[in-house]
Amino acid sequence: MEKNCFKSKIWISVVALLVAMPIFVVAFSWALPEHELWAHFSENILSDLISSTLILLLGVGVGVTLLGTVLAYLVVMVEFPGRKWLEWALFLPFAIPAYVLAFVYLGVFDYSGYAQVWMRETLGIPGFDIRAGSWAIILMFVLVFYPYVYMMTRASFKRQKINMIEAGRLLGASPIRVFFKVSLPLARPAVAAGLLVTLMETLADFGVVSLFNYDTFTTAIYSAWGDFRSIEVAAQLASLLVLVAFFLIYFEKKARGQAKYYSANMANKKPYHATGIKGWLISLFVFGVFMLSFAMPMLQLVIWGWSSVADEWSAKYIDLIASTSILTITAALITIAFATILALPGRCKQTSVWLQSVIRLATLGYALPGSVMAVGLLYGINQISIINIHFGGESINHIIYGSIALLLFAYVSRFMAIAYSSIEASAQQIKPVFTQSARLLGASRMRLIWQVYLPMMTPGILAGGLLVAVDVMKELPATYLLRPFGWDTLAIQTYELSAEGLFERAAIPALIMVVFGALLMSVFQVLDKKSSKSA
Amino acid sequence: MLTVNNLSIKYQDNSVLDGFELNLEQGEILALLGDSGCGKSSTLRFIAGLDETYQGEVELDGVQLSKNGQHLVAPESREVGMVFQDYALFPHMNIFKNISFGINHLSKSAQRKQVLELLAMIGLEGSEDKYPHQLSGGEQQRVSLARALAPEPKILLMDEPFSSLDKSHKDHLVLQVRQILKKTNTTSILVTHDKDEVNSLADKVGIIQNKQLTIN
Repeated sequence: MEKNCFKSKIWISVVALLVAMPIFVVAFSWALPEHELWAHFSENILSDLISSTLILLLGVGVGVTLLGTVLAYLVVMVEFPGRKWLEWALFLPFAIPAYVLAFVYLGVFDYSGYAQVWMRETLGIPGFDIRAGSWAIILMFVLVFYPYVYMMTRASFKRQKINMIEAGRLLGASPIRVFFKVSLPLARPAVAAGLLVTLMETLADFGVVSLFNYDTFTTAIYSAWGDFRSIEVAAQLASLLVLVAFFLIYFEKKARGQAKYYSANMANKKPYHATGIKGWLISLFVFGVFMLSFAMPMLQLVIWGWSSVADEWSAKYIDLIASTSILTITAALITIAFATILALPGRCKQTSVWLQSVIRLATLGYALPGSVMAVGLLYGINQISIINIHFGGESINHIIYGSIALLLFAYVSRFMAIAYSSIEASAQQIKPVFTQSARLLGASRMRLIWQVYLPMMTPGILAGGLLVAVDVMKELPATYLLRPFGWDTLAIQTYELSAEGLFERAAIPALIMVVFGALLMSVFQVLDKKSSKSA
Repeated sequence: MLTVNNLSIKYQDNSVLDGFELNLEQGEILALLGDSGCGKSSTLRFIAGLDETYQGEVELDGVQLSKNGQHLVAPESREVGMVFQDYALFPHMNIFKNISFGINHLSKSAQRKQVLELLAMIGLEGSEDKYPHQLSGGEQQRVSLARALAPEPKILLMDEPFSSLDKSHKDHLVLQVRQILKKTNTTSILVTHDKDEVNSLADKVGIIQNKQLTIN
């Protein structure tokens, strides 16, 4: 027994600590700070950075909370024309990476975009700078990330008992009062969880902020590394980001912990029916959000893609698709392999505080920007080189910086939590009786894993792999910093073309990505339905 | 006081009630008995304005509330009180807030006075700061009754309110509820399938059989 636990402790600890390494390394950067450049950064840039980041978080936070909650309430509680397909359609923006939506809007509303040209030439209104101030970028993030709040709040509204609302109504409360006093307070933990995920994603974003020339911590990290060649300052900035992320994780965990009031009832019945003009106004509003966040950008992408396919499409796309696929598939395989090791059921896991904490550490990556992962790895390699040189050896930077191993490492760290939570959920369904009966039949631990655990965890493993693949495919910040020469991905191609203002051509790689993403997601949906049926 | 005319209810093309007629006087307590699926709960929900059906009229205190199975007045404007089978107390509000939910149009002091009176009546003095999950089933049931009575509804509807209580608690509680309803002179309809409850609580008994209501 004792020995058995020791073995699984070693296995899990090695995997978990390896995955969590970039986070440690970043924190370690304060041990050897670079004073001069840091002083320059903290005097000239830091306060602006903090205030612009806060404004962004505040604006996006208020926006997604309002939009996500109202949409969720409408589709769950009110019957209106077109509700059924709109309820589903509001998830579609998940298929478009944030930076793709951003470049589409920039392409249309930028100074030379046709919306502004039309305004100037036909209406005679002077143009505006879409990058000035923060309203446009806030709007952008709200359109991209509202589905998080929508998804979680919708699930929570659906779990509420219809009785609660009926009781409120029979006590004379208007729909608005029922919303604020009953439905919303009961859903508050879910709203908070969705909001915090949104804030993490906003904080982690690199594509949107850099396309809009908006300075946040992520862009400052790139500037420290790219413009000043200082990995130390980049790591120090990254560690501040880690700190904020830890705060968000803490509140998110708290919010999720409270998110279980009651179960099932709202599924099919709608307490309110909006008929006539009221119903159509609601439809129009929800449809408008769908148009702005998905349908119109997609249409624009297709139009641009069509007009530029002759110029842009070439043999290099075969390479782009190939390298994107290789990275995506490899990263997904490694991630699910590691996540499975962490998620395998075991007696030791439940009792050992140590194991629980290292697993938690390994799954922190989802709250951390890809840039932090990248900087952590670069910084770590750099420190090893310095030590190596100190003892008369050579720098290993040139070997490691150009290898895809580093990039894969960053992906695995960043997306471990996604794979883990999916695989862990399927492991949870393995009841202790299965283990007990297998052991009584004389099965060894190995046989137990191969013939009982893994087959039962397969749906979770497949689903986790697909989710990781979708995220790796569109990952930008870590790829941008770490990709070796000749390993450009579709995401990089999209970003670079749009950063140069070549929006029509950027539509080509973006469309390929969206189509691949949609394919992977539909496979996921099929798996998800199957496994929920068998469960 | 309450008149229900020609109410018919179907579950998926399967008619369960056909031409239901009912008259209640002020202060009367009616118990509706019947097998499960006979449409008693649906009748309550129709009177409350929660579910619509294809035929039926409701008139309360001289006001037409529903016609042709459609509701003319929304549930929130009907002044109908309801005690749900699972009580439906708001889990995020304390007992005071739960009971005062329907009388928020009154001044703070008037709300306080009324809630304390109701708490005394149901024998739960001093519980106003507790939360529903801190109360026993019977206590939750009484709070739910107090909450429904607070706005002084024209009629009180109770949908199997005692069904999740054990026998020893139930007998005492049923008598207590009758006393409260008589004291407040509240017209009430109780839906149940327990004959004991009927005998100790109701003035009138309605039995639903073969899609029809017979009143004793």
